[in-house]
Amino acid sequence: MNYFNLDKQKLIIGFCLSIIFTICQPFVTTASAQNVTVSGKVVDVNNAPIMGVNIAVMGERRGVVSDLNGLFTIQADKGKVISFSCLGYKTRELPAAELTGGNIVLQDDASVLDELVVIGYGTKRKRDLTGSIASISSKDLESNPVKDVLTAMQGKVAGVQIISSSGAPGSSMQIRVRGASSLNSGNSPLYVVDGIPIETTSTSLLNVDDEHGLNPLSYLSPGDIESIEVLKDAASSSIYGSRAANGVVLITTKRGKEGKASINLFSSFGISNITRKLSVLNSRQWREFILEGYRNYDLHMGLAKETAVHYTVVDSLNPVNSGDGDWQSLMYNTAYEKQVGVNISGGTKAMRYSLSTSYLDQEGIIRNSKYKRFTTRANTEFDASEFIKVGTNISYTYSTNDRVSAGGMGNRSMVVALLTRPPTYALNYPDGSYLGYLNGKRNPIALAEECLHLNTSHRVNANEYLEISFTKWLKFKTSFSIDFEAQKEDEFFPSTVDYRVGYNTGAVRVAEYFTWANENYFTYNQSFGEHNVSGLLGFSQQEWKTDVTGLNGSTFVSDDIRTLNGAGTISGQEVNVAYGHSMASFFARGAYDYKGKYLFEVNLRADGSSRFGKNNRFGYFPSASAAWRFSDENWFKPIKFVNDAKLRFSVGQTGNEAIDNYTAQGTFITGRNYLTNAGVAPYQMPNADLSWETTTQYNLGLDLSFLYGRVDFIFDAYIKNTKDLLYDVPMPNTTGFTSVINNVGEVQNKGLEFSVISKNLVDNFKWNTTFNISFNKNKVVSLPKEVLVNGYIQNGSFHILKEGEPISTFFGYKYKGIYAYDTDNVDQLRHLNSTGKIFKGGDVIWEDIDKNGYIDQNDRTIIGNAQPLFVGGLTNDFSYKNFSLNVFLQFSYGNDIYNNVDYYRNSIFSYNNVSTEFYYNAWRNQGDVTEYPKVVRNDPMQNEARVQSRWVEDGSYLKVKSATFAYEFPRNFVSKFKLQSLKLYVTGSNLLTFTNYSGYDPDVNTLSSGLRLGVDYGSYPQSRTILFGLNIGF
Amino acid sequence: MKKINYKIFLLGLAIFSITSCVDALLDKKPISSFSAESFYRTQDQAKAGVYGVYNALQSAMHTNFSFWGEGRADNVKIKHAGETTFLQNNTLTASITSADWTALYTLISRANYAIANIPKVFPENDATGNQLIGQSKALRALAYFYLVRVWGDVPLILEPYTETGQDIFVSRESSEKVLDQIEADLIFAAANCVEKFNTTNDRIMFNKGSANGLLTQVYMWRKKYNEAITTANLVIANPLYSLVTTMSAWGNMFAASYSNESIFEVGYNDTQTNGLRVLYAIGSDAHYTPSNKFMASFEPGDLRRSYIYDETQADPKAMWKYLGKGVSDQIATPSKQNIILIRLADIILLKAEALTKLGGSANISAALNLLVPIRSRAGITPTLLTEAQAITMYGSVENAILHERSIELCFEGHRWFDLVRTGKAISTMQPINGLSNEKNLVWPISTSTIDKNPNIVQNEFYR
Repeated sequence: MNYFNLDKQKLIIGFCLSIIFTICQPFVTTASAQNVTVSGKVVDVNNAPIMGVNIAVMGERRGVVSDLNGLFTIQADKGKVISFSCLGYKTRELPAAELTGGNIVLQDDASVLDELVVIGYGTKRKRDLTGSIASISSKDLESNPVKDVLTAMQGKVAGVQIISSSGAPGSSMQIRVRGASSLNSGNSPLYVVDGIPIETTSTSLLNVDDEHGLNPLSYLSPGDIESIEVLKDAASSSIYGSRAANGVVLITTKRGKEGKASINLFSSFGISNITRKLSVLNSRQWREFILEGYRNYDLHMGLAKETAVHYTVVDSLNPVNSGDGDWQSLMYNTAYEKQVGVNISGGTKAMRYSLSTSYLDQEGIIRNSKYKRFTTRANTEFDASEFIKVGTNISYTYSTNDRVSAGGMGNRSMVVALLTRPPTYALNYPDGSYLGYLNGKRNPIALAEECLHLNTSHRVNANEYLEISFTKWLKFKTSFSIDFEAQKEDEFFPSTVDYRVGYNTGAVRVAEYFTWANENYFTYNQSFGEHNVSGLLGFSQQEWKTDVTGLNGSTFVSDDIRTLNGAGTISGQEVNVAYGHSMASFFARGAYDYKGKYLFEVNLRADGSSRFGKNNRFGYFPSASAAWRFSDENWFKPIKFVNDAKLRFSVGQTGNEAIDNYTAQGTFITGRNYLTNAGVAPYQMPNADLSWETTTQYNLGLDLSFLYGRVDFIFDAYIKNTKDLLYDVPMPNTTGFTSVINNVGEVQNKGLEFSVISKNLVDNFKWNTTFNISFNKNKVVSLPKEVLVNGYIQNGSFHILKEGEPISTFFGYKYKGIYAYDTDNVDQLRHLNSTGKIFKGGDVIWEDIDKNGYIDQNDRTIIGNAQPLFVGGLTNDFSYKNFSLNVFLQFSYGNDIYNNVDYYRNSIFSYNNVSTEFYYNAWRNQGDVTEYPKVVRNDPMQNEARVQSRWVEDGSYLKVKSATFAYEFPRNFVSKFKLQSLKLYVTGSNLLTFTNYSGYDPDVNTLSSGLRLGVDYGSYPQSRTILFGLNIGF
Repeated sequence: MKKINYKIFLLGLAIFSITSCVDALLDKKPISSFSAESFYRTQDQAKAGVYGVYNALQSAMHTNFSFWGEGRADNVKIKHAGETTFLQNNTLTASITSADWTALYTLISRANYAIANIPKVFPENDATGNQLIGQSKALRALAYFYLVRVWGDVPLILEPYTETGQDIFVSRESSEKVLDQIEADLIFAAANCVEKFNTTNDRIMFNKGSANGLLTQVYMWRKKYNEAITTANLVIANPLYSLVTTMSAWGNMFAASYSNESIFEVGYNDTQTNGLRVLYAIGSDAHYTPSNKFMASFEPGDLRRSYIYDETQADPKAMWKYLGKGVSDQIATPSKQNIILIRLADIILLKAEALTKLGGSANISAALNLLVPIRSRAGITPTLLTEAQAITMYGSVENAILHERSIELCFEGHRWFDLVRTGKAISTMQPINGLSNEKNLVWPISTSTIDKNPNIVQNEFYR
């Protein structure tokens, strides 16, 4: 396959050429003012003339009406704009200069059902869909400015749940299309940008202490996006075969249209702040409470002599220990962001272009976290001849991300550290240097300020294509694309934050991800009277290559030299690895409909993947779907208020091939050396039968359009059964292997989705509402027996996997309250075993599940579930004249959050600060009725340390996710300044949250494993942002 | 339209040419590792595979050589709770670290791969190939020797696992059968390994001498005294091995490794480290220090004492053997000393023991004569014990030899096995920790092993 080996040099040359080409694009000059007589004919999409169209010169009182044959004549200045409006049709506005006597086509304003949607390898009218596809248009994106694609989708699409992993700029999100279906192979959808499946696994090379991952789609500027489609059911996604089990997200970037150049400049400026702070004790309260915790410990242990506390607790005169700091205020800044960009698009008869560039500079609310992104894109298309079209989409993105470790309890984690840091600790020593490490605690401010974790990324995405129209009904398209990303991460932890004197560490990682893809397909489209037939036949191939190099260093000569040459010790010899993966696929589609009334479609994809075992090299993924537009049946005609009604059904299979590249082949691993002799050892047993996970999905849908397109209603119900889950099945250790990955296990998702799009008011005052809600029920159907212990798999600290229960089920002890009196423990429940201590007043009342009289780990039970009952969003668009207001609400209901931060905030384990609730409400005397136990440091009765239901909170919320108020200057006003348009807006994001959740924000998910959702372990908090923006069209 | 048809043809051809190389595209071999099919294809790979077996030995012996060989015996004093306490107090359970045999079977798996695959890349009866197989078989025998001594009956697996569908739930085999296999493997190794490498590899890799040395230990375990004497004689006559003569050389044998007395030691270095430091010499945190009984058991004037621990302290904080006389237990230098498993003094003492077991005054006399160089090196008088002296001092000649082993080979992982082998484990340990049941002499099989293999039955004492 040498002829596909592109080297970097060629890539760069190609890219430079495209830039030159971009610069040489001629700008079309505006015509001079001149009065002309314009005439023409107004027709509908079927070329039938429309009578009674109001034709007016904008900004003037002149106007005419089209005649019976749709003809009209009007006088206008050449620089003016003429509007065509008529009931039942979409209003069109055209510059007088562009009216050259031809037909003016007005689109039916009947329904959104007539919009084109992007599907796998093509487009389709929404009304002709037989599967389940949701779409977001550039209009939706514009009315609600965001900085990345995933945020743009959050809450907007029925059946898609997006949870923020972190509030840090440029961080990743968990996205689930119709629930999680895999235990080990990832649950992220396949992303296809302009027809090319793109690499999205390259998130980060160095994650320390549960740091947030990086958003793999952040290389796309939302301003460049024309539409986002989510393929949800098997009928629409099975054309992507073995990568489609988690749904497919199609992203289409903006194309130029024939016409003069339109130049759009956009600019915004934003201010972010933390949404709320959590209550902590002041110095006096803290000292008092620590002593109380120590006293209670001594009493509990029956110690005669009081345990001495650390000097920092009592010595309030020591300068390092006499503060009364508000660590949250020190850590959380007001963050500023700015974004500026320009898009130029247009075209001539033979070519179309859309060029853009943008710059984003976004600070995070935690000190020293910052994301910068520079993007540039050129999408061009030429008609090389009457039959041949060629085009190219090229983008380059450069980004830097100053990252901080927020979550978890690692040495470098900040959020829990700052919430539990004693208020008395000074920020600095008297000499001004940071108080880096004191009594087991690192200084979170110093961590944020002094540590370096910089990710730098370059990404080039280039796609060249050729389209041949052999006849009107047969076309061929071939494309070749490359996706290249070079990432570098620099890390440095100075000695000032370490407990070891002069001990500093650093690391560097460099990775190159290279993907090429080639897609070739014929499309066929023909109508025979009322019979419409279409087809698709294609072949595609794709190859991925990754090369990672890294080194770690420690004991640097000083904190000032942060590159590895300054390190006293360099290690990490095993961190230079390369791996690859390839796929070759054949795909086909056939569709037939009769009068648009009976619609049928079948798809088949055959995917060959280098990851599969040699006995299963090709997987076949078929689907079939049918739809019935019963509103076109004669018996339906009398029902006037329903204009369009369609029933859809689909069934099909998709796969998940996201297994390790070489697992199936077995592995002999290097680095198993004997002194200086390089040794190799068997590491993974080959499994020639290893294959993809298979998802079979059934979808039943109903589309209704009421009141002449005023109200559209989409309903879908689905069942998704995933079997042959890839799971590491343990092997007896006598084999020399710990496990072998095998296809076992089953997961089911079933759910309902509703969407409503309604034009409530259509006159001067316009009001549109979009609403979506989705219910998904997830269940682990079967797990390999070998891995079950006591009937379940412990999945990290807080979750289990159990047959019959959803993924991300919380498991722990059940809290029932606090004993008010010693005598309240009538059952004489004991701690740990039959001779353990008896729980007393102020201890937690635990549920004794096995009724054996003592509380041990067999008394753990299911205490919650991170998966919501339903999620959704509600958007209201109001506009009056040139003012518009868009309010977007997002909600999630029925999901639990395991608030592990609360555990740290409500127990004394090492001179830590706690919540004021604990301080005020702790049990102190016999008879105290409270929800908080007595405070005992390192509590031997484990009232706090157990994984327990007390920390499980209702994570339901309703958020005013964003509200945008915009003013579009009148056209006649802006035309005075030779402008096409001018819009000012202000957007508030994350404005209000209605929730009972006690942490920073209920949209939280600290742990990176997709199977351990819903844990708040001190994630980077979400912020509230006010953004001022300006869009200018030239 | 004709022109276009021509183009279709060309396009068809182009697409056909692309699709025809699908197989090549999908055939992706690992870049930074080997696939199961691509390894054991060359002679160099065969060597790398054997080094991989030694690598497993490094892990298997890391700390367990001491837990298995010393932890349950009377020479060590424990310093803290956990594994060391369970062993010393004879409160073993199926969840303790040393009950897990995984590292030994990992070694066996790697050796099985080597033994099965090396013949494929060497001509039949090729000397280089055979010596590599010999090394692999010796390593496998060493692992099985630990397995039978620690757990008794164990699964006997001699073929590599190369595909799903093989019988993975193997039951335990009688220890006698396993020992037969160990003997066969070692006899093959003694016949096929090199005479010598002429490098330091002679100390850390299996050659004829070390194979015979291990075979001597196995014969002694099986009470095959005549065979043991035969192989011991081969070792003693081997010019590669000689007793070091001075006490400082004796100390260096452990601290610097690679001495002429060494027959087989597991190699470690700055980055491939072991648990010696944690076991014997990290300040107050060392797992083991010398027991009072051990410290009191030296004969007067024994020069070895000061190389084994700091005799100026009543309760020494560390063991000096291995880490070096006077080692600072505060500075954490890497734990890189080799772990000596077989050395000439051990073989000489085993031969002496075998002669004693065979009996007869000539043999007894020969046995006591064998002790002379060891006693004289240690500065003990008389260097030659008479039978009567031995009986007076230790009750029997056998006990005198066993005592000599206890001092000379202390903390090298022999003591517990010596006690079991000579049937003195219960009488020695009962006063210390109440050990009383023969069935208690083996370890329990780890819970994780039993959980993953329904055909493994727990040792009777631990059920």
